[in-house]
Amino acid sequence: MRENQHWTVEKELWVENRLGLHARPAAKIATTARQFDAEIILEKEGLEVNAQDLLDVLALDCPQGTRLVLRTRGPQAREAATSVTSLFARKFDES
Amino acid sequence: MTEQNRYFRGIPASPGIVIGPAHVLTQEGQVSTRLLYTQQEVAEELARFNHAVDQTEDELSRLKQEIAGDMKEHAHILELHLLILRDRMLLLETQKLIKEQNFNAERALYQAFLKIKEVFQRIGDKHIRGRIQDVEAVYRRLLGHLTGRGHTKSFEFPEPVIIVARDLSPAETTQMSSTQVMGFITERGGKTSHTAIIAHALEIPAVVGMDSATLEIESGELVIVNGLTGRVIINPDETVQHSYRVRKEEFEHFKMEVTQGSSLPAVTNDGHPNRVLANIELPEEVALAQKYGADGVGLYRTEFLYLRRRQLPSEEELFQHYRQAVEAMPSREVTIRTLDIGGDKFLSPLEYAPEMNPALGLRAIRFCLKEQKIFRTQLKAILRASAFGKVRIMFPLISSPRELREARVLLESVKEDLAREGVAFDGQLPVGAMIEVPAAVTLADLLVREADFFSIGTNDLIQYALAIDRGNKSVADMYEPLHPAVMRMVRDVVEVSRRAGIRVAMCGEMAGDPLYIPVLLGLGVEELSMNPTSIPVVKRVIRMTSLQEAREIARQALTLATVEEVNDYVSREMDLRFPDIFRFGRPLAVNVA
Repeated sequence: MRENQHWTVEKELWVENRLGLHARPAAKIATTARQFDAEIILEKEGLEVNAQDLLDVLALDCPQGTRLVLRTRGPQAREAATSVTSLFARKFDES
Repeated sequence: MTEQNRYFRGIPASPGIVIGPAHVLTQEGQVSTRLLYTQQEVAEELARFNHAVDQTEDELSRLKQEIAGDMKEHAHILELHLLILRDRMLLLETQKLIKEQNFNAERALYQAFLKIKEVFQRIGDKHIRGRIQDVEAVYRRLLGHLTGRGHTKSFEFPEPVIIVARDLSPAETTQMSSTQVMGFITERGGKTSHTAIIAHALEIPAVVGMDSATLEIESGELVIVNGLTGRVIINPDETVQHSYRVRKEEFEHFKMEVTQGSSLPAVTNDGHPNRVLANIELPEEVALAQKYGADGVGLYRTEFLYLRRRQLPSEEELFQHYRQAVEAMPSREVTIRTLDIGGDKFLSPLEYAPEMNPALGLRAIRFCLKEQKIFRTQLKAILRASAFGKVRIMFPLISSPRELREARVLLESVKEDLAREGVAFDGQLPVGAMIEVPAAVTLADLLVREADFFSIGTNDLIQYALAIDRGNKSVADMYEPLHPAVMRMVRDVVEVSRRAGIRVAMCGEMAGDPLYIPVLLGLGVEELSMNPTSIPVVKRVIRMTSLQEAREIARQALTLATVEEVNDYVSREMDLRFPDIFRFGRPLAVNVA
């Protein structure tokens, strides 16, 4: 059903920080995602999770080098996508 | 001052002797489980849970505030815990279980936590997988608020204790370590209960099935637990304490002697090799089996993943378990027994009418041939695991060649599926029949054409052959492994196997009891499968016996008409040959420290 619906943003993200999406980055993603009025999805190899759900993001199992697809929609879809993308780009302020 | 030297008896569940202060887990102290019956109750339970969540949140926020500037790292962890507390998987799942399954809050929370734990176990990255610790920390804090204990670390004691409880749940035992807990006494449970398994894993003595233990024993009282005999002594005086300390030392010494030889091959002293194998239930037990010197796994029970849960395990989950066991035992055989369970054991989704006589009911291979979807899933998982080591498969409760044939046909069809999907498996996987129904003994010469090996399951065979229900206290003492009928059955099955050139093993408690070993060797049994802790003593007996004298003992025993005569004869022979082995009770198991 969802496949037929329209996403405002759909883009590729790469996990570049050394330790991958461990606790702190995942917490940052979830905290950031919760600030927006938007549906924010992260997809890895066909598995989708809501970016607001910390444990789901952790369970997605994303070490360094993982490719993800970010999808957003809703009133603040663009802002949300920008913020999440920026987190990834800054390597979650880690090395 | 309470009365001294109060003697009680339970079921010995994990070997060893220990003296120490008791710690009684009261009902409130445990993760209680009960079902809710009315909508009113459900609403109250939800409110109680939500209140506990609020309290936990307040506590975490307060702790965060209190953290000094140079402890930033810690603040981050608390931040993480706050997020976990409100996470869908923990919060919504618990609420859902309360609403839909009518679980009380503690049980619902525990189930939700277990589910998360399962998800995390599948995570490949070990840093990420390790975050389950944070989930667990939140779970415990929340549970503390639920049970009204606050966040007390309930299983940390100033000194090591002996835990006394009605029963121990997996939730509780995961919080215990052998540095904190010296032994267990429980009111419920049997030799194969969860408490027994954990006690073996922690290598501490345990006595289970001691009625009213939590009423008889008070926290702080000194108790002696003899996990060899099932004896419990409350408040022992100096003399009794001394005698048990001596016995404990003797046992430790004996244990050392026995375990030193446990890695040696199971060869009789006149040079005939045998195989001593392990019975296991969890993949983790493979390590234990190896430590005790097992030549392989002779019986891998697979019921565990199907019990106490609402959903059937997936093929992937089964496969991961089997593979873990198989890979942990490289180059040695792992014999997987397919589901040996009755419909009654499934809570749901399968609804079965309760059976009047489950031992004679729809169970094991009968159940699997009826519920082929469940069976195929398991067969597929076993076959997939066979690509990772030496796997054998065996079918329980076979009573006719037809059943064995049908099971094999299914197995072949699953193989075809896998081959079509391009999934690897062992095409030569040996297929065995368990001989545990008297009909199978009688038809052994026909079954042997369809089987690559036999495994005699003595627990059921004795029960069916003698028509004795071991769970029934009024006849339990008539359960006699050395009954002439049983001995003849074993002799006949071995004879048929030998003529056909297939291997025959024995699993079941009889195979792990040193008293019976020479008789069994004499009857021609060369593969014995038992609980890992029984292996060292059994190996010792084998290494001290000659096949020639074993044959003589078996020959003599077979001439006797009554089980009483056989028991007398065998006990006498064994006492003569092994005066030291039965000093500490029987069947004797030892923990390698």
